[in-house]
Amino acid sequence: MSGLGTHRRVRAPPGGLDGNRSGRGGRLSPARTPADPPSAALTAPGAWSFVVATLVSCFGLLAAVLALNIVVDPFAIAGTGIAPTAVENDRAIKLALIEELPSSPEILVLGSSRARQAEPAFIHELTGHSSFNAGVTSGTAADAWVFTRYAADRFPDAKRRYIWFVDVGIAGNGVNPQLAADPRASSYLDEGRGRFGLNDVGTYLSPDATRASIRVLRTCVLESCAARVTYLPDGSIPRPRLRYLPEQEENVRAAAATLAANVRADPLTDASVNPARHTYFERTLAFMNSRGERPVIVLNPIYPTVLAELERHGFPALADSKAYLHSLRRRGFDFVLVNCQDIRVWSGRPEDFSNPTHVNRKNMRRMLEYVVAHSEEALS
Amino acid sequence: MLFSSYTFLFAFLPLVLVGWWGLKGKNARLAFLTLASWVFYGWWDWRFVPLLIASTALNYVAGIAIARTTDADRRRILLATSISINVALLGYFKYSGFFVDSLQGLGSTLGLPVDLPRIDVLLPIGISFYTFISISYTVDVYRGSIEATRNFLEYSTFVGGFAHLIAGPILRFGEVSEQLRRPPMRLTSHFAMMGLFFLGCGLVKKVLIADRLAPSVDFLFSDPSDLGLVTAWAAAIGYSLQLYFDFSGYSDMAVGCAWLLGFRYPQNFNSPYRAVSVTDFWTRWHMTLSRWLRDYLFFPLARRYATGSSLGAGRRERLGTYACLFLTMAIAGLWHGAAWTFVVWGAMHGVALASERAYRDHRRLAGLPARPPSTTRKAVHRVATFVFVVVGFSVFRSPSLGAAGEVLSSMLGVHGVESLGQLENLLTAQFVALLAILLVFVNAVPNTWQIKVAPRVRYGLALGTATAIAIMSIAELHTFIYFQF
Repeated sequence: MSGLGTHRRVRAPPGGLDGNRSGRGGRLSPARTPADPPSAALTAPGAWSFVVATLVSCFGLLAAVLALNIVVDPFAIAGTGIAPTAVENDRAIKLALIEELPSSPEILVLGSSRARQAEPAFIHELTGHSSFNAGVTSGTAADAWVFTRYAADRFPDAKRRYIWFVDVGIAGNGVNPQLAADPRASSYLDEGRGRFGLNDVGTYLSPDATRASIRVLRTCVLESCAARVTYLPDGSIPRPRLRYLPEQEENVRAAAATLAANVRADPLTDASVNPARHTYFERTLAFMNSRGERPVIVLNPIYPTVLAELERHGFPALADSKAYLHSLRRRGFDFVLVNCQDIRVWSGRPEDFSNPTHVNRKNMRRMLEYVVAHSEEALS
Repeated sequence: MLFSSYTFLFAFLPLVLVGWWGLKGKNARLAFLTLASWVFYGWWDWRFVPLLIASTALNYVAGIAIARTTDADRRRILLATSISINVALLGYFKYSGFFVDSLQGLGSTLGLPVDLPRIDVLLPIGISFYTFISISYTVDVYRGSIEATRNFLEYSTFVGGFAHLIAGPILRFGEVSEQLRRPPMRLTSHFAMMGLFFLGCGLVKKVLIADRLAPSVDFLFSDPSDLGLVTAWAAAIGYSLQLYFDFSGYSDMAVGCAWLLGFRYPQNFNSPYRAVSVTDFWTRWHMTLSRWLRDYLFFPLARRYATGSSLGAGRRERLGTYACLFLTMAIAGLWHGAAWTFVVWGAMHGVALASERAYRDHRRLAGLPARPPSTTRKAVHRVATFVFVVVGFSVFRSPSLGAAGEVLSSMLGVHGVESLGQLENLLTAQFVALLAILLVFVNAVPNTWQIKVAPRVRYGLALGTATAIAIMSIAELHTFIYFQF
């Protein structure tokens, strides 16, 4: 027998070869599919009704959900303000508290949630100056910029001091939607008045937003629609009501171990600081300096086992951040840098962490003592 | 730009549809669609748009040149040149790093001083797909099974149409040439209905099913050494279902987009997990790739190497055919990605296809009668095929052969059976319930192509509601798995 000279003699096609045998050269008839209609069906009766029903139900449902979430505004993005928000709208609350302050705070505490344990009363004990805690959840340099400007405009003639808590990588430019949506803040931002954008549409179409809206509505119906103010007039959080639980320390250690494992898996060895991310940071520093003010920048503490893991990988992010801050000094910016990352330098204790990233009040007090002592008179 | 993104669904697609149906004149419409498709492609990374355009131009010119000449040698040279350039581009962008790393690894294993520079090339998305489409075109022109188009816009729309550009279906010019030559001028109710149906079904499959499986599957595969017997099977089955719903969902959306433009694309999936053999599986899974492999890889290989000769009265021919099957599937594995896990996955399927073929040949040659199909036998074959496919996909999903070994060991029970506490830690009740439901679904429910769409208002309302729920769930974008190939 002669060999397989043609495709026809190939007997074992791979894959879908036993089926649609297009044969040599793939001479194809148009693709046939189970769904192919006869040509007469191209204008099937009732098909437009189907199309209209599909589009109306789809867009109708989307519009209804979007409208509900915009009206309830659970994440405080749309700025309707009809119902209390599902998330803590601490930016709006703290702007309102600054508005209500009878006199200018002499020290303004800036930063993220890591700064919120700083008690103005304790800072007063240490420095003799009044203060206001403007730390907000996921606070960025844009938040610091707004609070600095807002306090300056509220009390135009008063100079003040600053304690600004930042993480390694230094506060970036990110503008929280709540901040952008607040008319008191938006005028200070490059983005201008916070507008409800396309990204916000996505957020308010999400099941998370709908669930939050339903939660808010349920609370309004079953309890009260009044917003709960969770801050004291000086911007600090009230004393925790829960007693210290022995399990807490164990839980924090376990969570820190997870965090350290994450560092091990992804050590972020390439974490160079990108100056383009820090326009608000530099603008805030420049504004403070232009008023003759010299802020104290505090590098936030890191849980000891996590820090050890970071250092084991060289912790290049710290070196990059320090280099960036030194470059700012060379460019004429004036500030004091206090590195509190290693809790041993300020006699911090691992058991006095609320979780691996946040110190509790006891540790914050120890840290503030150290910060004031190393502030090169900037807080005196 | 992903099909399952707000940008695509609310901006790109509506604009393209308005432009496509609003413009008059075939060439203006094809030019518009080509430009829109390049924008779609450039949305991901504009730097690779010139590569796509160059590849399109090259194959268009090659097609015309092959068609114009009657000299057989010259035609062969032209074809070989165009295929070589296509394969070289694919090889450079997709495989250069892999081959260098493999050589480096081989050198160090053998103790040889191999010091090759490391190559990190960004993979242009969709290159595997548009390269295969281009090759099929020039080969078909060479074989004379299609006429080369003189209209560049017809060709550029064929290769680079946004609906199929990134992850298929892998079109053949013959099946769309007439549609491109005479594109429909009016959006009919049937086009709109079918388009919305496929688009909605695809979106639901992708967003509400595949993306729901993804977190648990990713978690289980993140540390294969943690897996025991139950969790390893859960991971492998979960990934098999995720991959199916992800890719068939994408294909449905591609078909839906095509319908909305008045084009009809071929089917890419036909309930693959109902296959009763691996051969049957490949008639149902990624069908447009299967037929490409058959017509442009297997047949030429078989013609070259599986030809019977004086040695053999059919035996040599059969062995050659089995070898070609194996080689085709190993290459198909490599097409999926530049990693040994893909090669092993392809080779597994090659061995299975060759074995099934050998078994059929053996029965035929021995004069054994064909076994009558029975429900029990079909059920057993279906389960066995599914188990094989799932085992294969666990290799396919693993980041390395070592990890694949860990998963397979766990699936064999080498690492023991988990305690109830371990199971609670690794598997959520929701994930297990979803797996159970989907296993029933893929076996019992008709697939998208089997559903006869009845133009009733209530069905439209149901489809619209399901699509809206899917759109609302696009909070976090999960890219399509097949984009990486």
